[in-house]
Amino acid sequence: MPEKIDFSKVSFLIVDKSPPTARLIRDILHVLGVTAIRIADTVERARKMLRRDPVDVIITEHHLGEESGLALIEWVRTAPDSLDRMTPIIMLTANSEEDYVVRARDIGVTEFLAKPFNVEGLYRRLVAVIARPRAFVNADGYFGPDRRRRQVPYTGPDRRRSDD
Amino acid sequence: MAKRAQIIPPRADLKKKAVNLSKGFDMRLTPEVVRKLEEVVHKSRDTFTADIAEKLVTMRRLLTESRPEPERQRDLVAQIYDASLEIKGAGGTIGYDLLSQIGKSLNDFVTGLTALDARQQRAVGLHVDALYAVLANRITGRGGIIENAIVEAFGEARRKLRPEADEDGRAGDDDREA
Repeated sequence: MPEKIDFSKVSFLIVDKSPPTARLIRDILHVLGVTAIRIADTVERARKMLRRDPVDVIITEHHLGEESGLALIEWVRTAPDSLDRMTPIIMLTANSEEDYVVRARDIGVTEFLAKPFNVEGLYRRLVAVIARPRAFVNADGYFGPDRRRRQVPYTGPDRRRSDD
Repeated sequence: MAKRAQIIPPRADLKKKAVNLSKGFDMRLTPEVVRKLEEVVHKSRDTFTADIAEKLVTMRRLLTESRPEPERQRDLVAQIYDASLEIKGAGGTIGYDLLSQIGKSLNDFVTGLTALDARQQRAVGLHVDALYAVLANRITGRGGIIENAIVEAFGEARRKLRPEADEDGRAGDDDREA
């Protein structure tokens, strides 16, 4: 029997300063059966909400005013007062050029989706973060999802310095 | 010495909570669900177009009232950057791909600027006029030959008036993955 996703069990935080966009994402999630949805228009408000009560999934824009979506990701992943450092984060943004994608990836975003977006693209990201969770990496200067998308078997010797 | 990377296995709690064999949505969207979701997007179209129209009015007013003082110029460019980025993101989402294309062109044009000279201000004004025309004539999709020629002309204007912006390689962005 094929697997299904019961979105009614999943809580979301949408961070976007454009009210029509935040409402559209909220309405899409409602159709999927989500009932626990909070909306913040700044990073500061998002942090306040998350300090009180963490959510299962965060959907954030990059361009949010004084502080960007990257600041939110960094806070979730590294701050001592972040209640869940492994929260899946989808960046849904009109800042979609390659350098933005790379910076988001290197700060610990889970999925990235460019605006303008379509419902299939958003749904695929939701399925990915809920049904296909990724391993996390804790290393010098990085805490976040494993950035390797493809696992390529390597049979040669381990040549990293720390193994000398 | 560098710390060895620690791999933390995928966390299963969210999957356990939401994924099951009986209740909810298929992993792959069915045509029926796509239709329902697209209906939601379609219903939001009026709200988005009203919002975009408001942004165009604001940009037009800002251009008319612009002053040469550096602080006022910085503010002008920042507001145009914000509005154009939102139009770029919203247009195609509600079926107005051409709005997104022109919004992106305007956003690329002002990115990195802190002031607009007279020629740059005219170019921004032409972008705003084109966005108005698309909205007023309800040109959905990518438009036709004339519309594409306009988008190309904006690209040419950017290369002439903002040569450094194109060197940054800001062209091209699709459904990117991190």
